[in-house]
Amino acid sequence: MSSLEAVVRELRLSAARASALRYLLHALLASAAWILAIVIVARFVPLDQVLKIAAAGVPLAFAGVAAAWVAARPRPMRLMRTADLTLGLKERLSTAWERRSEHGPMDGELRRDALEKAARAQLQAAFPVGIRRGEVLLTAAVAIAALGLVLLPNPMDQVLAQRRADHAAQAKAATTIAATEKKLAAPSPAPVDPQVQKILQDTRARIAAATDPRSALQNITPAEQQLLQLSDPQTPARASAAQNLANSLSATGSGHAAAQAINASPAQGAQAMRSLASQLQNLSPSDRAELAKALAAAAQQSQDPQMAASLQQASAALSKADLNAAALALGGVASQLDALQQQESNDQEIAAALNGLEAARQQLASQADRDAAQAGATASGSPRPGAGGAGSGNSNSSGNGSGSGNGSGNGNGNGGSGGTGGRGTSGSGAGQGTGAQSTERVYVPAGPVSGQSETDPAPLGPGQDVPLTPYTQVIQSYQQTALEAADQSLIPGSERDLVRAYFSSLGESGTGS
Amino acid sequence: MIAEEPRLDPVRVTELAQSLESELARLIVGQKALVRDTVIALVAAGHTLLEGVPGLGKTVLVRSIGQALDLKFARIQFTPDLMPADIVGTNVIREDKGRREFQYQAGPLFANLVLADEVNRATPKTQSALLEAMQERTVTVGTETRALPAPFFVLATQNPIELEGTYPLPEAQLDRFFFKSIVPFPTEIELLEIARRTTGNTTPQLKAVAGADALLAAQKVAREVPIAEHVLVYAGKLISATHPDRTELDSVRRYVRFGASPRGLQTLVLAGKVRALLEGRYNVAYDDIAAVAHPALRHRVFLQFEAEADDVTADQLIDEIVEKTAKAKVAG
Repeated sequence: MSSLEAVVRELRLSAARASALRYLLHALLASAAWILAIVIVARFVPLDQVLKIAAAGVPLAFAGVAAAWVAARPRPMRLMRTADLTLGLKERLSTAWERRSEHGPMDGELRRDALEKAARAQLQAAFPVGIRRGEVLLTAAVAIAALGLVLLPNPMDQVLAQRRADHAAQAKAATTIAATEKKLAAPSPAPVDPQVQKILQDTRARIAAATDPRSALQNITPAEQQLLQLSDPQTPARASAAQNLANSLSATGSGHAAAQAINASPAQGAQAMRSLASQLQNLSPSDRAELAKALAAAAQQSQDPQMAASLQQASAALSKADLNAAALALGGVASQLDALQQQESNDQEIAAALNGLEAARQQLASQADRDAAQAGATASGSPRPGAGGAGSGNSNSSGNGSGSGNGSGNGNGNGGSGGTGGRGTSGSGAGQGTGAQSTERVYVPAGPVSGQSETDPAPLGPGQDVPLTPYTQVIQSYQQTALEAADQSLIPGSERDLVRAYFSSLGESGTGS
Repeated sequence: MIAEEPRLDPVRVTELAQSLESELARLIVGQKALVRDTVIALVAAGHTLLEGVPGLGKTVLVRSIGQALDLKFARIQFTPDLMPADIVGTNVIREDKGRREFQYQAGPLFANLVLADEVNRATPKTQSALLEAMQERTVTVGTETRALPAPFFVLATQNPIELEGTYPLPEAQLDRFFFKSIVPFPTEIELLEIARRTTGNTTPQLKAVAGADALLAAQKVAREVPIAEHVLVYAGKLISATHPDRTELDSVRRYVRFGASPRGLQTLVLAGKVRALLEGRYNVAYDDIAAVAHPALRHRVFLQFEAEADDVTADQLIDEIVEKTAKAKVAG
């Protein structure tokens, strides 16, 4: 051995070789522990991409251990002292290293003696390569536990699948609303009401941001109500008046063409009425009388006061042969037909928007139903002891519906159903109403009493001839039946939401008890 | 005979010690540890207290050392009526040409090697007369202080204090002894060998292997042996561990009244250096410190009465201290 520095180099190499294996085992243990921790956490918290997270920790663990390995490199003095102890060199190396720059009476002999003894010793043996058996076993145990947990089914997978399905349903509903917006924004004769677009955009954003389909559903009904508030309630009356006018004019010779135009569209009807007004002077007195009579009949049947007034003025002017006044009154009728045309276009936009929202509702509702069924299955599959809670709720609603078509009507609804369409000859009505506060009580069963399991039939009471069936066994079928019935019947979507929310609250109560 | 040189080669010191041990072994049967400790104390210029029951060869050992080292040897038999003046000397009236004057007459302390035989049989007053001689290597009589010859060693023997007619040495004087060696009872084989050697017509005659100058040179070389910082720290930890208020050992806290003094640390280090030299090394090892811990500390650790009641000895406590403090060697 040429110098003490050479001894240090050789000892450092030996120490690095010995510690590398130990630190490698530390890294393996840290990696296995990390994976195990992530897998355990993933069994209690729904984590997306568990394996990716677990795998990402492995290089980090190795890097950390490598850094610790580098930082924990022994200093030369420690190397020498360890070599002294393990090789039995009687502190020769450490003393010589400590006094390597000293020039005392014995320092020369000390260094020579130390180097001589170091040359005879096997310096590699100063740091024997060995690993702790306990750590090996611990690493193996942790790795096996982690592998086992990875292979075993994870209950959180179902939650994750549900969450993904929820997100997909919400995204699909938002896409549906976006498609409706795009459709409404397409070039059309009438300009789109910016309020309709804003309501759709806001609803789409809320649905996308909602935590689950059920929450997303709660945004649709308010949006529908906002849209319905944009529609003019006088439109059905005015449309009915226009239809009555067309019916009356169709029986006259001079107004037949105008009647056809009104039937075609209010805009064409307005143009025809202006044409009729300009041709009044060419009509014979009998035609004028016939026209005045038809206008008077239409005025009488009209439920729109403005239209009725204009028709009455035109009829009266014709009867008095005041052609200018009659032309002026017919121009007023034409203007009201133009307004009707505008109102109908607006209503069509609102209807399209409502259709889009309804489609989104269906998509969200189906996913919410699946979630509720899953929650119910989970709740019924794991009976919980304890006293059950009891819920009660009250709901009352009143709604006003307006119908469009040949007829008009107002509807009143209560008990959670919307208003019915108005009465008319061939009209159909759309009702709206706020959800009623139900007065019925929600039955949530109590937990099984001591000594009696939940699946056991309850003992018969006085006057009872059938055993009671536990709540958890029937609620699912009740829910399924009620939702199917709600879907099949012609009840508004907001009311179907009410049914759905009712059963969801039952599920929460059952789970929470 | 070792040649006298300005600075003795460390190898020669080792040879001197080995020669001395070999020469003593011709007369002393067994007792290798005792001989080794005594040689270490001599090279370290320290005084030694030999303790053992009568008849174990303590006096023979000291007398043999005197023969083997070619030193001026004096023996003082301590008795209860021995007075201080009997050992340090006194002024006597002398008449010269009709004039009377006091003249100092040196006592037996004026020798290189003093055997204080059965030192604990003298009264404390007489024992204390040794204090100045052992520490300062001077003697003061009247108003005059006189230096003792160099080298100066006191090798005292004592019987166990529980024997009748003995006076325990005061703590201050005990601390002046570099080593306290226990003279063990010989083994059966050694007993037979003692009988063979001492019951014949011839008794081995020892030859001198070194003189005073060689011994003084060896003492100087021994102090040059380097000691690493961590070994020094280890020695310090051993000393601290003997103190009840500094130790982590329950037994020390329970049984020890006073721990070793700083002189104990000096003894550990110096004795360690000599032992290293005797082992042919040029540095002090942990083993050197541990090996001299018993003779260096056993008379410096003062026990409580409770230790005596529980039959706990200083050697047992030192064993425990060395064993527990050994862990610091690796951790440090």
